[in-house]
Amino acid sequence: MQSKIKFLMAGTLSMSCLMLGAANAADKPEVIPGWHNAVPDGKDTPLHDPMILYASGGVDGKMAIIGIPSFKTYRHVDCGVDTHEISFGGSNKGNKNGTPDGKYVYLNDKGANTICEFDLQTGYLARVIALPFPFGVHHIAISTDGKTLFGTGEYSGKMSKTDIKSGKTEVIDWGPAPSAPDYIDASRDGKYVFAGNYYHSTVGVFSTSPFKLIKEIPVGKNPHGTDVIPESTLVLVSDKLSATMTIIDTEKLAVKKVLPTCAGPLHSVMDVYNKDGGSYRAGIDSPNGLTSKYAYESCFVADANVKVDLKKLEVVDEIPTHYRTGHISISPDNSYVMALNKFSTGLFSPTGVIFPVNFEMWDAREKSPTYGKTLRIMPVDGEPHNAKGLMAYLIKDWTKGQAEQGGLIDKRTEVLDPLHRSLSRRYFIPKETTPPGVKVVDGVKEIHMKAFSYGYIPRQVRVNKGDKVRLFATNIDKAAGITKNPDVTMGLTIYGPYGARSNMDLPRGVTAVHEFTADIAGEYEIFCTHFCGPLHLEMRAAFFVDDPKKGPSNLAVGDYDKAQHLPGLLEEGQLTVAERVKGL
Amino acid sequence: MKNAKLKIGLIAITSLGMMWGSASASAAPEKRCTAGGQKVECPTITEAEAKAASDRFTKEAESMGTGEGGSTYGIAPFDYLTGVGKRTAASDAGAKAGTYKGDSGYALKANAGQVKTELWDRVKAPSSDGVTDKSVYDQWTNNWSPKFGETLVAGADANQGKSYYYSYCIACHGWLMHGDGPSASELNPRPRTLTRGDYMQKKTNLELFAIIKGGGEAAALSSSMPNWGNVLQDQDIWNIVAFIRAMQDVPPPKSVTEYLNPKSTFKPIKGDVDALNAAQNKDFQEMQELIESEMTGRAPGSELVGGGYVKGGNRINAADVTLKVKK
Repeated sequence: MQSKIKFLMAGTLSMSCLMLGAANAADKPEVIPGWHNAVPDGKDTPLHDPMILYASGGVDGKMAIIGIPSFKTYRHVDCGVDTHEISFGGSNKGNKNGTPDGKYVYLNDKGANTICEFDLQTGYLARVIALPFPFGVHHIAISTDGKTLFGTGEYSGKMSKTDIKSGKTEVIDWGPAPSAPDYIDASRDGKYVFAGNYYHSTVGVFSTSPFKLIKEIPVGKNPHGTDVIPESTLVLVSDKLSATMTIIDTEKLAVKKVLPTCAGPLHSVMDVYNKDGGSYRAGIDSPNGLTSKYAYESCFVADANVKVDLKKLEVVDEIPTHYRTGHISISPDNSYVMALNKFSTGLFSPTGVIFPVNFEMWDAREKSPTYGKTLRIMPVDGEPHNAKGLMAYLIKDWTKGQAEQGGLIDKRTEVLDPLHRSLSRRYFIPKETTPPGVKVVDGVKEIHMKAFSYGYIPRQVRVNKGDKVRLFATNIDKAAGITKNPDVTMGLTIYGPYGARSNMDLPRGVTAVHEFTADIAGEYEIFCTHFCGPLHLEMRAAFFVDDPKKGPSNLAVGDYDKAQHLPGLLEEGQLTVAERVKGL
Repeated sequence: MKNAKLKIGLIAITSLGMMWGSASASAAPEKRCTAGGQKVECPTITEAEAKAASDRFTKEAESMGTGEGGSTYGIAPFDYLTGVGKRTAASDAGAKAGTYKGDSGYALKANAGQVKTELWDRVKAPSSDGVTDKSVYDQWTNNWSPKFGETLVAGADANQGKSYYYSYCIACHGWLMHGDGPSASELNPRPRTLTRGDYMQKKTNLELFAIIKGGGEAAALSSSMPNWGNVLQDQDIWNIVAFIRAMQDVPPPKSVTEYLNPKSTFKPIKGDVDALNAAQNKDFQEMQELIESEMTGRAPGSELVGGGYVKGGNRINAADVTLKVKK
């Protein structure tokens, strides 16, 4: 009976490409009425997905766990303020999904300047690695040996190398200013780290040991996605403002080809095959000799994903998406591409003054009758950034209350809530017309800021340490340059110690107000947390908290040691505070 | 006298819906701008014009979902901001007025009869244009925008500056630099109309550079103009200055040909600094020092200082700009 039902699932769900428990071809299908195709085989859920997608939630500060291909959201796990890049523990071999060992998943928090470590098996936040200040981590990438996380310091023009075990972090400068390292990837042979710099319009090549800049390779204007292919021979760079993909040869460390792709390219993912040509299965297949056939690049402005043949290095297909794809993800079995769309204009019921964004899954199997078609589209929480998938067999089955078995929880296991969530008073008022600037009202520094695409007015705000701050922020956008979507929401977050206090949503037509005390000196970048358009990343300003005793703050002057200690720490071991080592 | 003529000319041309209106209609505006040491009226659009411009953007955005412009995706059939997909006028040979045939300019040239309606198609340059790897840089903004064979600022390339203008400046200063971008109505004072020769001819390159790099406050002007020095490299700023110079007194175009070949009235100001000689100019150096000392992301004593210039790619050094200076 059980196998009959399994067969039915495999046969009737057109997307069930990789069901666990092979179907017995001799069994005849049996029709079960209704939606509830139960699998009564000892598991107590109505549906098991063969793959699981881990998605950063962006402004909601969480990680979403989503089934593929059901596109059902299983859980949301808290991390902090504004999460960005998912990176599985294990190894970076393979495609963007890497080779997860099933132990941990790392997620960087751009708002709090931390890296959250989740235990994949318990599904809980296990540790928070606090990064040094000033830094402003944009993305992270795991090393080939799985021992190190590399990070980009978008808000300080720096790069980091964090030892995962100890949490100790080495920081180096990447000048000259203005410098904004953003997307990062590490070569699969462990030699190099590649990172785009959207102010330099280059890709920086860093040796992993010693950790230093080797050279800068000029690419198109304002590059974003910097992605190494599974063979580790090429780096695909999405030249945001040049409508091209710059392909870098990792041996020569030089540009191999510049490929016109689409308007507003942002990120790329690739499929991955084992050395026998089958889909690569992490933990089962050897991670050596992996190959890839196609890369898929997201095109924000063109509302499309383009497919690039990695042998011929040419665009072979273009798939429309709905709408404004930012990050892009591929299922671990190469079957589906997930367009992580930034706008859902008109697709879903309104949810208030902020509309949902969506994930769209399209069929990437060339022989499928639905190739290139959208199979699922769902509104998602927050404003997600990257998402990566793993095969569901990497997560232990503990659903029958046997979590103590198999060493899952057999000793004291720390479970963290994001302790550094700190207080600010926040409210909306009707859209104000006060000119931008700072004024003092009843001893409170009132900061009036306007957000537009792409920037803030004023771009620099100075307050004194200890000041009570009342921050008014108004979205004055009508058309967020080039995108023209009518539902553009802006965000405003001051990274680091002020991250949780200022994680503002700025829908059109209102003014958001946050009140907090500026008690830690330093220069902290202000950034936009809602992907408002192609130059969303470049939408920045700076918040200076000056200590009268030390003089004006800058990247060298400030209470940076204090900034990295997150409030709410209960006892040692729950939080790893990385030390500032050098380059500062 | 020259200005009055210009205004009349501009009022007459409203076919593209670029609101200019008559500055003379408003009652005695306050002289709160400085040009050549004199207090002058700031060349900006009026309250009503700003509101009208803003309403047009809203209207376009609202109708976007229904695909009125003819895109099969129902999105961005015509981009008001970049001009991508702009309808051609009936006067353009080969294009039928009111259709999208030939809108990109490419269908007419290379693939007669082939209709390209998607944004993605439009930004792809056809191979018949002899596209090489280098020239595909910037095609997003280059394909459907003015082209410049000469420069008015030595060592600066308006073609490069244009793409940054379209990315960063357009939201306030508008597609044709008339100070009527979608956010203009929210700003007080309004964004400057950058094409007005009577005003801009009196502004030196040094002043323009300082205002873009250091913001309005660097020249005692509006704080609504942000400082872009921690976003743009110095050479990018010079390229934008060249683009602004190249658009002086350029009216809203009546045809694609006119749009692609703007004619500037700017005459280089004697003794002014330009991208080529900036490194030797004392005033320029002083200004740089002053502005950079206030700038974010620059840690004293570290590598994090300077103009962000990295050689290679699409960013070329002032000395390597091959465009001839217009005499």
